[in-house]
Amino acid sequence: MSHTVLVCDDAIFMRTMISDILAQSGYEIVGEAETGVQAIERYKQLKPDLVTMDIVMPDLGGIEAVREIVKFDPAARILMCSAMGQQALVVEAIQAGARDFVVKPFQPSRVLEAVQRVLG
Amino acid sequence: MDLSQYTELFRAETRDHLTTLNRLLLEWEQQPEQTEALPGIFRAVHTVKGMAATMGYARVADLAHRAETLLDFLRTGGRTVSEQELELLFRTADVLEALVEATVAGREAALDVTPVLAELDAAASRREPPEQPGRARRRISFVSVPVGTGRKVEVVLRADGALKGARALLVLRRMEALGTVHGVEPAPTALGGEEFDGRFAFRIETQAPAERIEADARAAGDVETVRVHTAGGEAAEGERDAGRARHIRVDLRRLDVLMNVIGELVAARGRLEHLIAERRDPELAESVAAISGLTRQLQSEILQARMTPVWQVFDRFPRVVRDLARQLDKQVEFRVEGKEIELDRAILDEIGDPLIHLLRNAVDHGIESPDQRVAAGKPAAGQITLAAMRDRDTVVIMVSDDGRGIDRARILAEAKRRGLVDEHAPDIPDDQLLRVLGRSGFSTAGRVSEVSGRGVGVDVILTRMRELGGSVEVRSVPGEGSSFTLRLPPTLAIVRALLARVGAERYALPLTHVAETVELEASRVTAFEGREALLLRDEVLPLVHLRDVLAIDGAPPARRPVVVLQLGDRRTGLVIDRMEGQQEIVVKAFVPPRGTLPIFSGATVLGDGEPVLILDAGGLV
Repeated sequence: MSHTVLVCDDAIFMRTMISDILAQSGYEIVGEAETGVQAIERYKQLKPDLVTMDIVMPDLGGIEAVREIVKFDPAARILMCSAMGQQALVVEAIQAGARDFVVKPFQPSRVLEAVQRVLG
Repeated sequence: MDLSQYTELFRAETRDHLTTLNRLLLEWEQQPEQTEALPGIFRAVHTVKGMAATMGYARVADLAHRAETLLDFLRTGGRTVSEQELELLFRTADVLEALVEATVAGREAALDVTPVLAELDAAASRREPPEQPGRARRRISFVSVPVGTGRKVEVVLRADGALKGARALLVLRRMEALGTVHGVEPAPTALGGEEFDGRFAFRIETQAPAERIEADARAAGDVETVRVHTAGGEAAEGERDAGRARHIRVDLRRLDVLMNVIGELVAARGRLEHLIAERRDPELAESVAAISGLTRQLQSEILQARMTPVWQVFDRFPRVVRDLARQLDKQVEFRVEGKEIELDRAILDEIGDPLIHLLRNAVDHGIESPDQRVAAGKPAAGQITLAAMRDRDTVVIMVSDDGRGIDRARILAEAKRRGLVDEHAPDIPDDQLLRVLGRSGFSTAGRVSEVSGRGVGVDVILTRMRELGGSVEVRSVPGEGSSFTLRLPPTLAIVRALLARVGAERYALPLTHVAETVELEASRVTAFEGREALLLRDEVLPLVHLRDVLAIDGAPPARRPVVVLQLGDRRTGLVIDRMEGQQEIVVKAFVPPRGTLPIFSGATVLGDGEPVLILDAGGLV
């Protein structure tokens, strides 16, 4: 059975791209979220195997969302999606419980490697 | 763990880093206020230190460590590097190189490096920033990891990985799942800094085996190498490089052996083809043809594997030229062109010394002092160019300068004095210049200098080039400069050659210097400057009879071919009895017995099993 994924990003473009990369490699995209609040709701609802999480999102940021999700499920597997130069934020996200990160612009191979590391 | 098997690898890799170090130091010297070269310099020294420490070469590691300390202060200090500091770094590179060689050879005690150590320490202390309380110095250092309990682990992240600080944190996270982690260097707070280059070390107390530590560290992603030391912290275990599998270092001697075997195979193939031509068996012929094709492919692959870009040897020359120019108070702009041109490794190794000799000559005797140049209406800085290029089937390497040119009058006088040229000769043309210069012991230098030696070089260069199947040409114009052109076959060992028969013997003539072949027509033979010559189109071609050269008795056949040999602009017709086709020949090293004519460059065994000598065009033209 393929792994289920929740994709959280406020840009449709990014969500589509991540979904495509993962779907092409056999992952099942079970939901998407545009905001941190949505991300937390959908996680509780869908219990996906993996969450990809943008750092900067409206209403509630990705790092806050990581904290809330990990509080709800300490075993949650969250992969941060960051831009270059956001090292401090990524470090914060890791300290909050994120398992790994990828840096935009995305290279599909890098994304898949990171996903495998997080799920492995 | 036996480290001796890594000695060669250590040496080769260290050499690469030291070459890089020299190159970057030169760049830095050009623009001391820029610090772009500094991270690379730091990395080179740092890597050498790490490798030396792993090999247990404490003195090498110590020297590198002290250089690194100075570099670290230069990096963080923000003040421009001084000339003295650069000079010290250049010297450190030299001492480091000498120490590495001595250490590898087991003679490290013979080298006293304490003066340079003291200078490095002094220079570093002048640069040391005042200690700031509360701010840990961000020194990245493998050797000075505080002695603690647990096993030391060194991790290097992939250079192209993003956000190395965050990645390092992920590694540490995974390690914390295995046991207690402490002694992280650089300090975890520094990991997020711009200067963090992806190398960090820590100690871990865990029951997990080294393999597990390594595997878990790698699982964090973007990890290039992991070294897990034994509990004692002495030897490193298991360094496995990921993502570097595309290149391996091979001992050149193995390639030589392989090359020899393939040489034998080519000779055997030649014999087989020879035999098969006499039988009319299509099936057998087909099978032999297939083997021939495969042999050829194998041969071309192995030749390709031996090809090395010339920069691997050229890269040390800027430093040589710079040092020499300083020593002689000359100004030199040195340019290198065609660094990517490839040559067989064995040839490349052989031309390093001749090229250094030519470069030294150019700086010492070619380029004038700045005053003299300005007085002659030239820019104060002389130009020396080292250029490699491909020309048909050969590789041409040229050393040229815009200096004063060779002093023909003095050389003419000297040549007359020694009876090398006719007493009344008015001048020495370029092609004869080389012959005179090439006489052993003939001195071109008016004075004997430490720099270019005693003028014994040119004959050594000529001999070396002949052994390699190459040739040398010289051009020199008074007041405008000189150029030496080395022409070489790109690969050694297997060349296409023409088989020439004279009398009962056959000789091989490599096609490298064969321009064409024509028939010797008596009606076109004439005399030119007292020599026999052939009118070929609008050219007067001097003739050399191989029969005469080899002192073969008997009458030559009526119809004879002329092989036109060409070395640069010089052409000579070599008259032989008969041509017997072309063949690929395997050049064997050849030590000519005393008294052998200087016209042979090697020997080979032909397809039919007969051994023949290889003629050297340079000795005949």
